[in-house]
Amino acid sequence: MENVTINIVNTIGDVYGVEAEDGQKVFDLIIKAFQDGKKGILSFQNIEMLTTAFLNTAVGQLYNDYSEDFIKENLTVSEISESGKIALKRVVDTAKLYYKDPEALKRSIDEISGE
Amino acid sequence: MSKLSSINNTFESYQQLVSFYEANKKKIFEDVHIQLWSFFAANMSAALGAILDKFMSNLNDIHFDHISPQIETILLKNDFLTFYGKDRAVDTNNTTIKYQKLKPTDGKYFKNYVIEELMEGHIADLPKMSSGAKEKIVEAIYEIFVNAQMHSETMQIYTCGQFFPSKNKIEFTIVDIGIGFKEKINQRFNSKLSSIQAIEWAVQDKKTTKEGVSGGIGLAVLKEFVGMNKGKMQIISYDGFYQYDNNGEVSKNFIGQFPGTIVNLQFRTDDNNNYLLKSEIDINDIF
Repeated sequence: MENVTINIVNTIGDVYGVEAEDGQKVFDLIIKAFQDGKKGILSFQNIEMLTTAFLNTAVGQLYNDYSEDFIKENLTVSEISESGKIALKRVVDTAKLYYKDPEALKRSIDEISGE
Repeated sequence: MSKLSSINNTFESYQQLVSFYEANKKKIFEDVHIQLWSFFAANMSAALGAILDKFMSNLNDIHFDHISPQIETILLKNDFLTFYGKDRAVDTNNTTIKYQKLKPTDGKYFKNYVIEELMEGHIADLPKMSSGAKEKIVEAIYEIFVNAQMHSETMQIYTCGQFFPSKNKIEFTIVDIGIGFKEKINQRFNSKLSSIQAIEWAVQDKKTTKEGVSGGIGLAVLKEFVGMNKGKMQIISYDGFYQYDNNGEVSKNFIGQFPGTIVNLQFRTDDNNNYLLKSEIDINDIF
């Protein structure tokens, strides 16, 4: 299986990966790579700032379409900063929980409402 | 006539703004009079600007009947009054962070604004601050801006800030005139939460209204950072007031409503914590 590098800076045209809309561009490329049977390398080279909103759309929503095992097998990360790594890990862990139990959010609302 | 007096970042000050809005919100093609007395925290320009824009969208005329001289000086320096027919003043002390009105699509512009106003333009004001703390502050501000972009359904985003070098702190405020936490959450979950319940839910980790996309981390991350930095975060959304700082959480209801959401952040600039400590996360074990 061929590897394909997705350069985030080039994909979004910015060293700030902050907006959800830009995250979607990265997500679309990862999906394209997966659909073509390729393994993706997500390069964070030269990225200076990341928000969780960006990472949620870029990476988090992959867990809606693909299993944890598949993503682990087919996606790697390179040249990410320490703070970026922490944020990405948190986004990934949150996504895994979210897609395993999407009703948990509604339940947490019901608990507040006393229903 | 509406008199705003000693406006800073207290619940009572926000209540004054809410009452000012409530007293004038039904006016159409009329005159709205305002007086600013004794003190007005520069970052609150964002909240006042949002309210005045609501009035102007009803084609009302805004009249500043009185502005205390020291307030006028600061509101000229931060450009707020230039939106109301006054000439700009030079900020020789360089402690203001300019008042800005942005469209939700102005993300790239916001980036330049943050870099110029908050970081590069104020390097001398942040000598005690670690680079990690600076990065965390910019990150936090971005999370709030992006939240307003994604969730509020606002037409405009208002931002403003102020450095307080002698107190080692910085205030930054982001305001939208969108649907607010309560409406957003209740629409999504068909629930009946109050404004306070909605805010308290949203600041918890992993709580999101996005459908089909996980999230809800931004506010939680911000809250954690505010705790470590010994700063303060305030969220005002319609009739709900929420504050988190070293003393814990406080929630209160306003009499009346603000027409949107205010997020006010206070950071300590003498924070030399190293937030960039190497994590123990293995790059091969993220997914």
